[in-house]
Amino acid sequence: MATAVAASPAQSRKTETYTDTKRRDDVRGLNIAAARAVADAVRTSLGPRGMDKMISSGDQAQEVIITNDGATILSRMSLLQPAARMLAELSRSQDAAAGDGTTTVVVLAGSLLRRAQSLLSAGAHPTAAADALHRLATRAVEILHAMAIPIELSDRHSLVKSASTALNSKVVSQYSSLLSPLAVDAALSVVDPAHPDLLDLRDIRVVKKLGGTVDDTELIRGLIFDKKASHSAGGLTRVENAKIAVIQFQVSPPKTDIEQSVIVSDYAQMDRILREERNYILGMVKKIKASGCNVLLIQKSILRDAVTDLSLHYLAKAKILVVKDVERDEIEFITKTLNCLPIANIEHFCQDKLGYADLVEEVSVGDSKIVKITGIKNMGRTTTVLVRGSNQLVIDEAERSLHDALCVIRCLVNTRFLIAGGGAPEIEMSMQLAAWAKELQGMESYCIKEFAEALEVIPYTLAENAGLNPISIVTELRNRHAKGEKNAGINVRKGEITNILEENVVQPLLVSTSAITLASECVRMILKIDDIVTVR
Amino acid sequence: MVDRLLKDDAIQEKGERARMASFIGAMAIADLVKTTLGPKGMDKILQSTGRGRSVTVTNDGATILKSLHIDNPAAKVLVDISKVQDDEVGDGTTSVVVLAGELLREAEKLVNMKIHPMTIIAGFRMAAECARNALLLKAMDNKEDSDKFRSDLMNIAMTTLSSKILSQDKEYFADLAVDAVLRLKGSTNLEAIQILKKPGGSLKDSFLDEGFILDKKIGLGQPKRIENAKILVANTAMDTDKVKIYGARVRVDSMAKVAEIEAAEKQKMRKKVQKIIGHGINCFINRQLIYNFPEELFADAGILAIEHADFEGIERLALVTGGDIASTFDNPESVKLGHCKVIEEIMIGEDRLIHFSGVQMGQACTIVLRGASEHVLDEAERSLHDALCVLSQTVNDTRVLHGGGWPEMVMAKEVDELARKTPGKKSHAIEAFSRALQAIPTIIADNAGLDSADLISQLRAEHHKEQSTAGIDVISGGVGDMKELGISESFKVKQAVLLSATEAVEMILRVDEIVTCAPRRREDRM
Repeated sequence: MATAVAASPAQSRKTETYTDTKRRDDVRGLNIAAARAVADAVRTSLGPRGMDKMISSGDQAQEVIITNDGATILSRMSLLQPAARMLAELSRSQDAAAGDGTTTVVVLAGSLLRRAQSLLSAGAHPTAAADALHRLATRAVEILHAMAIPIELSDRHSLVKSASTALNSKVVSQYSSLLSPLAVDAALSVVDPAHPDLLDLRDIRVVKKLGGTVDDTELIRGLIFDKKASHSAGGLTRVENAKIAVIQFQVSPPKTDIEQSVIVSDYAQMDRILREERNYILGMVKKIKASGCNVLLIQKSILRDAVTDLSLHYLAKAKILVVKDVERDEIEFITKTLNCLPIANIEHFCQDKLGYADLVEEVSVGDSKIVKITGIKNMGRTTTVLVRGSNQLVIDEAERSLHDALCVIRCLVNTRFLIAGGGAPEIEMSMQLAAWAKELQGMESYCIKEFAEALEVIPYTLAENAGLNPISIVTELRNRHAKGEKNAGINVRKGEITNILEENVVQPLLVSTSAITLASECVRMILKIDDIVTVR
Repeated sequence: MVDRLLKDDAIQEKGERARMASFIGAMAIADLVKTTLGPKGMDKILQSTGRGRSVTVTNDGATILKSLHIDNPAAKVLVDISKVQDDEVGDGTTSVVVLAGELLREAEKLVNMKIHPMTIIAGFRMAAECARNALLLKAMDNKEDSDKFRSDLMNIAMTTLSSKILSQDKEYFADLAVDAVLRLKGSTNLEAIQILKKPGGSLKDSFLDEGFILDKKIGLGQPKRIENAKILVANTAMDTDKVKIYGARVRVDSMAKVAEIEAAEKQKMRKKVQKIIGHGINCFINRQLIYNFPEELFADAGILAIEHADFEGIERLALVTGGDIASTFDNPESVKLGHCKVIEEIMIGEDRLIHFSGVQMGQACTIVLRGASEHVLDEAERSLHDALCVLSQTVNDTRVLHGGGWPEMVMAKEVDELARKTPGKKSHAIEAFSRALQAIPTIIADNAGLDSADLISQLRAEHHKEQSTAGIDVISGGVGDMKELGISESFKVKQAVLLSATEAVEMILRVDEIVTCAPRRREDRM
């Protein structure tokens, strides 16, 4: 019996061969086919020469989006097949983890699934394949770490390079020389010296405004409201040395929570009530004025009008600039930026809750107006980017691209390593893993060899999308890597293999590592499913 | 011929037909979950037919069975025992259904041999009793030796997790789960272990954190960090205290009076806030919204106020900080405040959460799960929950068995002995019971793609020796020494599987008539 315990190779093979009933094979096959179909749908949008997709929503609005962002495409596709939905979710988690590489991760998963299918038909047990994939992923991450180049946050040049790699594949790629330094500046300005590893993208606000071109996009050290200042009764549009109050109460006639009715029995009484109302508002305005405040940001209220014509009139008379209908969830950002406190009651209106800025002004942008607050004293660590574009589609895409670029910087803030782009890390992983597979034995070696080849899909697709001959490019790439040129990659612009680091095509390490780990996790999950049960 | 006894549409099935119907239903259910058994078991996608068509990927028997549409009454019995198993011990939810299914399969053969169901039941009862005694004898107990006990727990956790999605990182998670359970110091109150799911990162990024994490935001302008916090947990309206009588209204004759009423309302709220502050607290957590006005008052008083904490969060928070949930604030002395050392804002992934550390209930802790997608996280939570349940049960009942089909083979051997000693028809039933027990290792082997017939006969031969610790080693694909491999299971789980499966089978066997009541009208029958 001791021989059995020692598990002779003859027996170990038994674990890994797999015979299954017809139906279960079908379910797994269907899942893989569906997931691969999804991967194929986004495949063409990979890389700098990737194509965009136009997505039109099926409902009444017929809204149209043009994008090349994998996460966006997949989230808009109304997928029904469970395995296909898992792929869409995979792209979403890559978006959350790294913000970039959302197409890469799906294409990678699709390619891994294709290999997995051929492994299964060769008789590999799904769990054997899944385990091999797990080992492969851990190993791949080690290889990536070995390839990575450390970076300092003070090295602005490298940061800009990696941001522009992220932007290269987008519609707005011709603006990457503008947008990438902008993204870097925006991101670095909100990094808190106390927590150098954290970058909260919520501290960067992106305001979209139609008109102009993407060239006019600017970084504003201050605040922007996509709103007009109130103009009624000649309200101000420009205030210097502003004292800004953020109020959460309403400057309008009183309204109680309990239901109330004012009973008017004759004409004189009506007159009196009108006068009282006027006095009441005047009283409030006077109190506001008394604190020295000259800019008022009023939170939107659903219970009653935040301001009335009458109160706007008085506020204008008191030379106070008013911005109304500020959303409640923006209040936190505003108070953080202005370094002030929100005021929820007129009684608490005092000077130390105000924020100070050099200039508050209403400016025309295109055919509409925005309110800009600049020169804020003791400004919090926040920043605002005003995105411009000639049509809504471009603006939306520019915003998404900017988000990607910001995410790239965030990744670099988290893990300060860069890695070459242009398919170089994938081909290197593929080569090293294939070499490693030769040292292993049994089914595991076979699986890892297959999966290692699957990684070549990234350079292959890059070349294909750029209109190059994928086979000759990939083989040449492999050749160069075999000669030890670790950083040789596809230079899409020149259409040849060059040292990709010299071409400034770099990306954060986190994007590559999370792509490989997330893709393998998802593929393992799909492999382990043998049945779809319909439930309530 | 008697006239119809039953109402229209009501169906009656009798005798043989009824019994067959329940056998077939129950076996179909058992076959459905059979493939999820064991470390190489497969997962299933549960696709909801409801709106949203939500998708769940799982390997947990209880979860699969819970969500099935079932019409067959016998199948429902199996679903129920799986549910009970989940509630009682948390693991073995698949095993119990599979064992019951196998017992029924054997029983069906016996019934076909014209053995009366009652005889079968009697035989099964004897066999179950005998099997239980065999387990009792073989169970190991390392209660005294705390190091050994911990390694037992680790082994159990790893065995439980090895059939789940967490199997790749099972050592890591087993360690996590054991740490969490040992913090409980013997109580089985899993409430104190909070599991928080945050998409992003990978499973390895999950961690155990002492204290409690609340997925909420701190109010504006309030301190982001508090030491030695005195916490008041409340469920009260912080917008307005409204008169609840419908149609209550005030009549006034001037605007000034309206303003007065408004001021009075504000004043009332201010008083309420003052009262709350009067408790000497520096953290206020409310289940309902806190409006801007009171929020500002709290900020002015330097109190951290958290609004809209969900119900579960509130209850748990009250539990771990040792406070009461208050809704009136007139008697500050009678309200028990919660305490903790530090409250601070932390970031996990992209989200900001509030972390309470050094809470009064020292055993409380939070496991933060990270993973690629919601599916992974949900399944990871279910797996971890199973492990935690089993561990907390094992802490109470420290007896441990080997895994990998070892207990089944031990029981089968004893039951076989019994069959040989027992005269009469009952012995057939006892023999059948032994066969059903052996089906479990068979299925484990089948799921792993192994040659089950060969393996089981090897295993049986091995168990013929005294004190054998042989079981199926799925990884190497042969018969292995379970003791060396460290594959362990909790005694309590195995016992529960054995007893509830036998009970369920007994119940189904006793059935000889199914009366289906007239159905209510339904539009879409699934």
